[in-house]
This record gives sequence, C-alpha cells and structure tokens, in this order.
Amino acid sequence: MSASIHIERASKVYDGAVRAVDRIDMDIREGEFFALLGPSGCGKTTTLRMIAGFEQPTEGTIRVSGKDVTGVPAHKRDMGMVFQNYALFPHRTVRENVGFGLRMRGIDKATVARKVDRALEMVSLSAMGERRPAQLSGGQQQRVALARAIVIEPRVLLCDEPLGALDKKLRQQMQFELKELQKTLGVTTVFVTHDQEEAMAMSDRIAIMNGGRVEQIGTPSEIYNRPKTRFAADFIGDTNLLSGKVVERDGGKVLVVAEDGFEIPGADHHPGGVVHAALRPEKIVLHPDESDAPCIVRGRIDSANFLGDSILYRIALPKGRHVLARAANTAHSRMLPPGAMTRLDWQPSDLVFLAD
Amino acid sequence: MSEAATAPAALTSDDAAPRRTGPNALAWLILPIALLFALFFVLPISLMLLMSVLTGNPMFEQGVRFTPENYIRFASDSYNWEVLWITIRIGLSTTLAALLLGYPLAHLMARVHSRTGHALLLIAVLAPMLTGIVVRTFAWMAILSDTGVVNATLMRFGLIDRPLPLLNSETGIVIGLTHIYIPYMVLTLNGVISRIDERLEQAATNLGAHPLRAFWEVTLPLSVPGILAGSLLVFALSISAYVTPLLMGGFQFMTLPLLIYQQISASFNIGFAAALGIILLVISLALVIGYNRVLGLLSGDRDLT
Ligand SMILES: Nc1ncnc2c1ncn2[C@@H]1O[C@H](COP(=O)(O)OP(=O)(O)OP(=O)(O)O)[C@@H](O)[C@H]1O
Ligand SMILES: [Mg+2]
Repeated sequence: MSASIHIERASKVYDGAVRAVDRIDMDIREGEFFALLGPSGCGKTTTLRMIAGFEQPTEGTIRVSGKDVTGVPAHKRDMGMVFQNYALFPHRTVRENVGFGLRMRGIDKATVARKVDRALEMVSLSAMGERRPAQLSGGQQQRVALARAIVIEPRVLLCDEPLGALDKKLRQQMQFELKELQKTLGVTTVFVTHDQEEAMAMSDRIAIMNGGRVEQIGTPSEIYNRPKTRFAADFIGDTNLLSGKVVERDGGKVLVVAEDGFEIPGADHHPGGVVHAALRPEKIVLHPDESDAPCIVRGRIDSANFLGDSILYRIALPKGRHVLARAANTAHSRMLPPGAMTRLDWQPSDLVFLAD
Repeated sequence: MSEAATAPAALTSDDAAPRRTGPNALAWLILPIALLFALFFVLPISLMLLMSVLTGNPMFEQGVRFTPENYIRFASDSYNWEVLWITIRIGLSTTLAALLLGYPLAHLMARVHSRTGHALLLIAVLAPMLTGIVVRTFAWMAILSDTGVVNATLMRFGLIDRPLPLLNSETGIVIGLTHIYIPYMVLTLNGVISRIDERLEQAATNLGAHPLRAFWEVTLPLSVPGILAGSLLVFALSISAYVTPLLMGGFQFMTLPLLIYQQISASFNIGFAAALGIILLVISLALVIGYNRVLGLLSGDRDLT
C-alpha cells in the first residue's frame, strides 16, 4: 500500500543558524517516482531525513496519506530508506541484513526466509546470501541496501543518492533496474540526486532545490522545456540565459537584448523592467551567412565540438558574449568551421521567460 | 575472491622488497623506547621470575638452588587461594561497575554533536585523573564512612536505621576502584563507539526497530571490541591496585598486591612475593591472550576476502 506525502512550509534550522531547508512545499503523489535534484548542500538529504523522521522540521508539517506525521518517531513511519553510503550492518550477513526489518516486525522465521529469498532474487543476489557486506562490491552492496528497504513493503521508498558511488556503466544499469522495480512494486519513491541526467531519466516529477528552497517542481519535460527560474534553466541541461527589456513596437512586443545588441520580435511577455529568458542550444537554427537574409542575430563560430549525435557550437555575438547552439548530426549536415560567420534564428515561442 | 586475496599479497611483497635491501633509517627511532622497555620491563620481570624459583638471593647467599617451593607454598595454603579469589572478585566487580556506568557515558560522548558538549564531557571524564589516587581515596572515605554524607543523608530521611557498611568493605573498595579506573573504560569505549556510523542505528530504526532495539542489535555488537579492551584494562589495573584496597578496605581485605607488599616488608620473603607477582602477571597475560582470541573469532570471517 503506497502513500502520498504532503510537505507544507517545512523548514529545518540547525544550531539556530543554518537554514538547511527553507519553507518548502511538496506534494508527492501515490506511486510516484519523485526526484529531489540540486547542487551539494542544497538541503536534499535534510528533506529526506525529515520525511524519514530522523529530523524534526523546525517549522511546518509533513503529512503521509493525509495524516500528520510530525512527531511520529522514525521506527513507526514504515518507510524504507536507502542511505547515501548504504549503511549495511557490517556484522550481519546479507540475508540477515535483508531480513532485519521483517524480524523487527515480529514475522515468523519461515516467512522471513521466503521473503528474503524473493527480495534477493529481485536484485539478483541469491548466491551472495551468506556473505558479509565487506565481501561485496559497491554495486552489490547497493542492491542489498535496496532489497533491505523494499522487503518490508514500505509505504514510501526513500533513496539518498543510492547510485552516487557507482561507475557510469553500472550506474545506468542500476537506474534502469531500480526504475523497473519501482514500477513493478508501485511504491511511492523519493529519490535524491545531484545528477540531472539521472533525475530526468528516472523520475515522474522532479523538484529542483537550491539553497534550501524549491525552485520548481514539474515533469522532466516541463522543467526542461519550461524552466521557471534562472537556476532551474541553468541547472538542467545546457542553456543560454538572455536578459533585456520588453517594449511594445508597431503593435507587437519586442525583447531588446541591449547587452548583446539584438532584438527578438514576438516576445510573449508584458512590457516593463528587466526580464530574463532562457534559450536551449538545440532551438537555435544556424544558417551559413548570406548577408542579406533576415535573422535574429549574426555571430561568428568560436569552436565546434563534435559530440557524436550532435555538434555543439560556441558562437560569439557582436558584442562579445557567447551562446551555445546545438545542431543535430544528420547525414547531410555539414560542420561549420570555426571562424565562419553564421546567422542565428529561432522560434519566438522557444524563448522561455523566467520568473527571476 | 581469489583475485582479491592475491592482489594485496602481491602489493605487500612488492613494497617489502626495497625495504629488505638496506637498513631502514626510521627503524633506529624505536631504539630509545626499545632500550627503555628492556631496562624497565624485561629486566625487572626476568629478575622477578628468577627470584620466584630460587631458594634465596644468590648475591648474598651461598648454595642457592632452583626450586618450585614458592609456588607449592602458594598452592597448598587455602588462605592464598582465598586472597586470589578476593582479588579476582574485586577486579570483576570493578570491571562490571565501570562498564555499566561507563558505557552510557561513552555512548553519549560519541553521539553528542556540539563541540562544547563533547569538550565538557571529556573534561568530566578526565578531571578525576588530575588528582592523585590517595587524595581521591580519602575523599571517598569521607563520603562513605559511617558518619559520612551518604549514610548521614539516608539516616536523616529514615531510609535506614544503621549505617550501611560502605567503608571498610568490599563495596567500598569496588566504589573507590571504579571511580579511579572508569576513565580508562570510557575513553576506550568512546574510541570504538564513535567509529560506529550513526546511520547504522538510523537504518535499524528506519526498518522498524525501537531505538533501544536498534542499540541492542547494532551498536552493542559492534562495540564488543571496545567492551573487551576496556574491561581488560580496568580488570588488569584493579587486580594490581594497592592504595585503594588498603585504605577503603580498612586494612581488613587482603588482595594479591597487599599480600605481596606484606611478604616483602613484614616477612622479608622475597621469593614468595616474586611468585605472587608472577601469578598476577600470568592472570593478566592470560586475559590478553583470551581477548585476542575472542577478537580473532569475532572478526575472523569478516576478513576472509
Ligand atoms: N547536522 C547538521 N548540523 C548543521 N548543519 C547541517 C547538518 N546537516 C546538514 N547541515 C547543513 O545543511 C545544509 C544542507 O545539507 P544537506 O545534507 O541536506 O545537503 P544535500 O543537499 O544533501 O547535499 P549533498 O548533495 O552534498 O549530499 C548544508 O549547508 C549542511 O552544511
Ligand atoms: Mg546529501
């Protein structure tokens, strides 16, 4: 039985001074794979520990399936946690580690053995049952930690950067396996990571955190295509941040990017003070310069990086700033050489205006 | 498993090779301590061992022979066994008391997060060590005597009719020894407990264990090496204590160290005293060996890979 989690204006202040988490709101739905994404020190672990009950929020409430759990001790919360360093019991075998939660629930030996067998099978570790954690590789330890957390069929699965210590290949494989397992079990999962690709690949929704606050919550595509803040736009993927003023001209709106010396027509934003906007590199269309053809701005190719599936260009704008543009590597595309002049164009609707 | 086993072996033999080619300059640095050890430990103990199996002092007497006489004398007199038993009993009680009182303190010290809190606890543990044993023992005598603070208070509130025999009793000796040797227990335990990751306990509670159960299942077993080491230390120290059993016991309790002193100063029976000293040493030695065995058993299968 899965649970929903509602966090309302929760804060955590350490030692009366460090605001690790600052008035965050989150609604995590039943069965959802929800990622907390943000740079180091932004409060991800603290948020997770408040949900698990290891920390009490300094203010605000946390409700699980509608019931206020603020003040409910960790051992009564029925949540499975995978710790950042796995926290496997070093003096116990793999089987004993996995069976621990069941034993604490007073379940009889035969049932424990059966469930442990099944959990170990799920994470393909059936042969390692009698080993101690120190006798396992990092990836195997990670899977034991996962098995230990899911075998109790928790209402919520909490994972704190569980794949952080693994190499890239194993990491991708584990991402896939974990996601599959989560789908099969249908358990509400809160997954902490500072790896944006991991968050994008696995999550139903992502909360972008920064400095103890939530910057944006949304599906991976929402956050990628419609970032709300400069931080969110910059943190996920490559992005070009532009700032300027929107003015009305000839009945239409124009964004005047004064510092780079160009204007973007069709700006869908109300006129006024300085606004910020994000433009993804792949939305920029490059044409070799033919001096008379219309375009938004011209630039000179500074460098071209061949990335396999695409080519990433760094382009110098007239006033010296650089933007990134990504061109798909198709059969008939040809690479623009550094030093070449190019026209940059994009759809006005690809420009995303940011809240701050 | 086999690669894992061969890899470190290969490593050690690799970097051991250059070391064998010439004398290591650093090795000479242990020379002073080695000399000190030989002079103040190996020499006196060898002499003691020698004295315990000789009929007299070869420096002053003629016709000195080897003899097991001193040990036979010890074994054949039930009084000596009684003394040995009292000594061990006092050692065990002190160790148990120091463990029961010291463990919670060591645990608190290991888990307290604020620096000031930790510093205060450390001072509290170390402060008693800054005053001499004799001073502390006299303080206990003032507190525990028939008219002392404890008995006076209990009688004032009518909880007891007659003063409890706190002083001049085995209880008194154990109280005094516990106070003196508890820092060794706390510091040893603290070293081990603070190396146990707190998140292990949290993982246990997360899996549904009450905090006490988490302690019992995780922290306690993992601190066994500290419990053993601390107990060993306190036991060895308290069976060889002299001042406290003398003063707190009111000259009524004979322990091995007291008996040794009596044999030397009153009976001039140096051979017998030496035999008693060796017996004391053997007990401690046996404990150290036992300790290593138990640790080996506990960690043996963990180091298999
Ligand atoms: N027990 C504590 N006492 C004081 N400050 C703390 C404590 N735990 C965390 N902090 C502070 O709170 C902030 C958030 O920490 P948290 O561990 O939640 O970050 P995080 O997002 O998980 O970072 P990382 O990605 O590095 O794990 C940090 O500035 C950290 O220094
Ligand atoms: Mg963290």
